[in-house]
Amino acid sequence: MAQPSRPVDLNASLAIAVDGLHLNFDGSTPVLVDVTLHIRQGEFVSLVGPSGCGKTTLLNLAAGLVTHTGKGSIHLAGASPLQGNPQVGYMLARDSLLPWKTALENAMFGMQVRGVPRAQAQERARSMLQEVGLAGFENMLPKALSHGMRQRVALARTFALGSPLLLMDEPFGALDAQTKLQLEDLLLRLCQQHQQSVLFVTHDLSEAVAVSDRVVVMTSRPGRILADVTIDLPRPRSIRELQKDAHFHELYAQLWEHLESGWSKHEG
Amino acid sequence: MKAEKLRWGGAHLLFIMVMLGLGEWLTTNGWLDPTFVGQPSGIIKFLWNNIATGKLWVDMGWTMAGTLISFTLGSVAAITVGLLFVGFPKLEKFLDPYLNAMNVMPRIALAPLFILWFGLGLGSKIAVGCSLTFFIVLSSTVAGIRGVSQDHLTLCKTLGASTFTTFFEVTLPGAVPVIFSGLRLGLIYALLGVIGAEIIASEKGLGQLLAYLGATFEVNGVMALLLVLALLGVSVVRAMTWLEKRLLHWQ
Repeated sequence: MAQPSRPVDLNASLAIAVDGLHLNFDGSTPVLVDVTLHIRQGEFVSLVGPSGCGKTTLLNLAAGLVTHTGKGSIHLAGASPLQGNPQVGYMLARDSLLPWKTALENAMFGMQVRGVPRAQAQERARSMLQEVGLAGFENMLPKALSHGMRQRVALARTFALGSPLLLMDEPFGALDAQTKLQLEDLLLRLCQQHQQSVLFVTHDLSEAVAVSDRVVVMTSRPGRILADVTIDLPRPRSIRELQKDAHFHELYAQLWEHLESGWSKHEG
Repeated sequence: MKAEKLRWGGAHLLFIMVMLGLGEWLTTNGWLDPTFVGQPSGIIKFLWNNIATGKLWVDMGWTMAGTLISFTLGSVAAITVGLLFVGFPKLEKFLDPYLNAMNVMPRIALAPLFILWFGLGLGSKIAVGCSLTFFIVLSSTVAGIRGVSQDHLTLCKTLGASTFTTFFEVTLPGAVPVIFSGLRLGLIYALLGVIGAEIIASEKGLGQLLAYLGATFEVNGVMALLLVLALLGVSVVRAMTWLEKRLLHWQ
């Protein structure tokens, strides 16, 4: 029998705690307004919303790539965000593989930068490549891999870091529909296995419902949180099975309504 | 594939033979004046005599030495300054108008000054060659480093990579293709600068020989040297292409 949901430890400190956060880029135009968002350890939360609503900005604040200067606060496991924080793994929309390194070297890159000894990094990268279905492709250069395979290497590089928190910025946004579904399935498997906390930015509502424990809907700029929907679909999940699940479609429709109400408010 | 290569080679050989035969026929029958355009048999004779006596090799050696030294010095200086510019953008902003003024100046016009400063030996040729190579490699170095993928740099930031690691693991390898295209052009321009300086005034070198033969109406010799220079240019480009394929096999 399927589990009701991934077990989360409510007593552990929050993976991400954003409280009453405001952000102005140039001191006048507000980008984020009164954003409060709590992500528990081991929880998978997706951020959805129209382009330019500040989803990626919020992710970059958590990664320490954007400095917070306004009101409110943001904390990661109780500490202020820090660029290069070893507790955080970051995955970009494009694969960002280094074209002069092989798949194995790319999968090792993050660990090597963070000081993992070469032999250990190599062993872990090999096993991660196997886990993402790329055994036998270790010595191939990115130019010889398809988009989907390259993104699998990027997933291997990110998960190999073993960081307790993953920040993912539309990692499958640039893929074709079929490859995207395969990689969503892979992500579900990896998350089930590695039990990391994830903040996932996406444009794709169906992707958000399929992979998350909660989906947070944001309004257009300035970004505010409009709704926080719990995805009570049992895990482990399969993308194929979810397509036939009535509750999956209900949740999808519910999120659509929230998004649409955000547009009408913005237009009004 | 090999048969196709042979067919193309045969076609080129036939074309060259026909052109040489046509040139010989036109000059022997008085349709063209060999005093002004030379004669294929005369050109071949000149090449044969000068290659056999070693005279041509000595001049070619001086020209090549000048080219390689000016290319190396010019490129090293340009890459160093390029890195400084990327590290200190204000320095680039300050020096930009001066560098632009120097870059648009026809560098060959500096040759008389360089000859005055460095004499008729290698020094003046190297100075002209360097002055041409430097600006080409400088602009490609700056463009190459500035053009490094922002995604790669973001990745390094999120991983907490040091400036040293980011530079050697990501920035430099990412900039190499653009720097290399500058180096390829820089080498051709180094050859151009050295030959130019030799034509103006020099003790040795293909340019000096070319100027002498031109002044003494040895058109066969001039034509033969132009052929040698074309072959030299092609060899230089081929060598760079070979190196590029080996270094940038990942592209």
